[in-house]
Amino acid sequence: MAKFSREVHTVDGVKTVVHTAGSGEPLVFFHGAGTVDGFDFAEAWTDRFRVIVPYHPGFGESGDDPTFTDLHDYVMHYLELFDLLKLDRFNLVGLSLGGYLAAKFASEHGHRVKKLALIAPAGMIDPQHPMMDILAVPGDQVPGLLVSNFEVLKKHLPAQPDLDFIGERYREAGTVARLLWEHPGDPKFMRYLHRVKNPTLILWGDEDKIIPVQQAETWRKFIPNADIKVFKGAGHLVHLEKPEAVEAVAKFLS
Amino acid sequence: MSAALRFNSMHFMPYVHLPENHKEHKSLWVNFSNKHYDPDKGYDLYQRYLRELVLADQLGFDAIVVNEHHNTVYSMMATPNLLAATLIPQTKHAKICVWGTPPNFMYPNRLAEEYAMLDVLSKGRLEVAFPLGTGMEYWANPVNPATAREKFKESLKIIVQAWKEDGPTSFYGNFYTYRFLNPWPRPYQRPHPPCYIVGTGSPETIEIAAEFGFGYSAVFVTQQRAAELNENLRKRAHHFGHTIRPEQTPIMSFVYVAETQERAEQEYIGHLQRFFEDFTRTTPQFLAPPGYLSVDQLKMRAAMADKLHGTFDFKAISNAFFVAVGTPDNVANQIGDWTQRMKTNHVNCVTHVADMPHWKTVKNLTMIAEEVMPRLRSRAPAAHRMAAE
Repeated sequence: MAKFSREVHTVDGVKTVVHTAGSGEPLVFFHGAGTVDGFDFAEAWTDRFRVIVPYHPGFGESGDDPTFTDLHDYVMHYLELFDLLKLDRFNLVGLSLGGYLAAKFASEHGHRVKKLALIAPAGMIDPQHPMMDILAVPGDQVPGLLVSNFEVLKKHLPAQPDLDFIGERYREAGTVARLLWEHPGDPKFMRYLHRVKNPTLILWGDEDKIIPVQQAETWRKFIPNADIKVFKGAGHLVHLEKPEAVEAVAKFLS
Repeated sequence: MSAALRFNSMHFMPYVHLPENHKEHKSLWVNFSNKHYDPDKGYDLYQRYLRELVLADQLGFDAIVVNEHHNTVYSMMATPNLLAATLIPQTKHAKICVWGTPPNFMYPNRLAEEYAMLDVLSKGRLEVAFPLGTGMEYWANPVNPATAREKFKESLKIIVQAWKEDGPTSFYGNFYTYRFLNPWPRPYQRPHPPCYIVGTGSPETIEIAAEFGFGYSAVFVTQQRAAELNENLRKRAHHFGHTIRPEQTPIMSFVYVAETQERAEQEYIGHLQRFFEDFTRTTPQFLAPPGYLSVDQLKMRAAMADKLHGTFDFKAISNAFFVAVGTPDNVANQIGDWTQRMKTNHVNCVTHVADMPHWKTVKNLTMIAEEVMPRLRSRAPAAHRMAAE
């Protein structure tokens, strides 16, 4: 398994950090609304894929662009980045908020996407099985809601959060608020979701406390060419808790 | 510049009937259930608090101050303009200060209209302050805290344009489009009532005050910090071509006067303690919704909160903040000292806090008006030479 190397790009004036490793068909991973859990898990893909993990603007090592107020700004950002990286066609994997973004990207630019994998994606308005309003949850309670087995997340968290850690989490929450504070769900997104024609895999942990696993079926109603894989005993960060979920993505994309 | 020292009486109108187990609630803001609000008790409190503000006018305070907060026992002034409208016919001389409605929670034209109405209704006695709104208000109102500062600035532009320019004008912004900005009535005072920005010291907010040439009322900051902020405001305002006058930087202070020092402390300290420990009690999450503060400000405030953590210490608080409690002489000396050091002639006195009973508020207002103000006014010119420098 290859280690990631770090590239720094400037995309439309925004510092954009991209971690890449491995060789093979390109696999782009969109992270979720926080980056504290890191990308170690993705090393398992590097023996079969060229793995490309960008930090979204406003998260982790990438810079801020306070003019980004809409998920579509991120779609445009990635069109620019993929052109810059000369990535014409690639596999796209998105986690949570990154799943929302990946599905939106595929609904608009499906011809650029080979296969699509969505890990506990956000963005679905499902009144029967609503997503938890994570912006309303006190920061110190969030980690406990992300996983069923806290040990897998614990190693990514500082024993005692310092000001830098708190500041970084606050920054990422602020980025999310810019996008979702007033409208956590966008009915237009669902309206156009049927345009995703790519082979799609939807992965979920059956103990997800943030987005109920029942939403997997709702997603399949919108994306006809989708399969579902549910992992027992896993929470929202199913890819951290279940290595077999990471492997299932690789198998599906191969 | 007027040489007169100016005294305001400021009220929060708290809902004081807290349930016995209220300490179990980490926050008396945002999510503290309104089932605890009894309208009968609320009626009595409104009657009483309004009488206290009217009394301040009768006793010779230069201004009475109302303000806005939501979802909290801290304040029953959800829409301060209603209170201002109630107070106008009951008062004669005092300026009516609505300090104020966060513009983000209203359409800017509507706020311009309401303030203009109050100004005309009072024949030019209105003063307004524009707060961004505390973090807590952004959990209560459907407005994005992460874009609050941009929206705030745009709202101010619209309000000032509506007041200064003959309508109709138009405005095309990021948040608002006005094809016919032409609010009736216009303010009584030309071009508009005196304006302040209220804040707790974010440099971003001071920059806005400086740009518009507005006053800045620093609230809940230490004396040292207030001095720094005012100095910074003067500097930054100068950069934008404005000169900040002494009355534009009011001191927000907690004042209580009694016959002796001991008696003043004995009558007051418990209420001040409950103000800080109960009525302002909330969580870090509610204080700083996502994106409301810059990351630097968030870290600074988190570090400060760690330092301040501990039991209520009256001596420490009164040394650090603007708190004057004691005899008329002591309080007058302290206020005189502040006005010189802060280079201002404008003292905004919080005359009622927390569960202070009516008799103490009446006593306090009377003592300030009859004992403290004359002492300071007799020596005001000296203070004001300093202030004007």
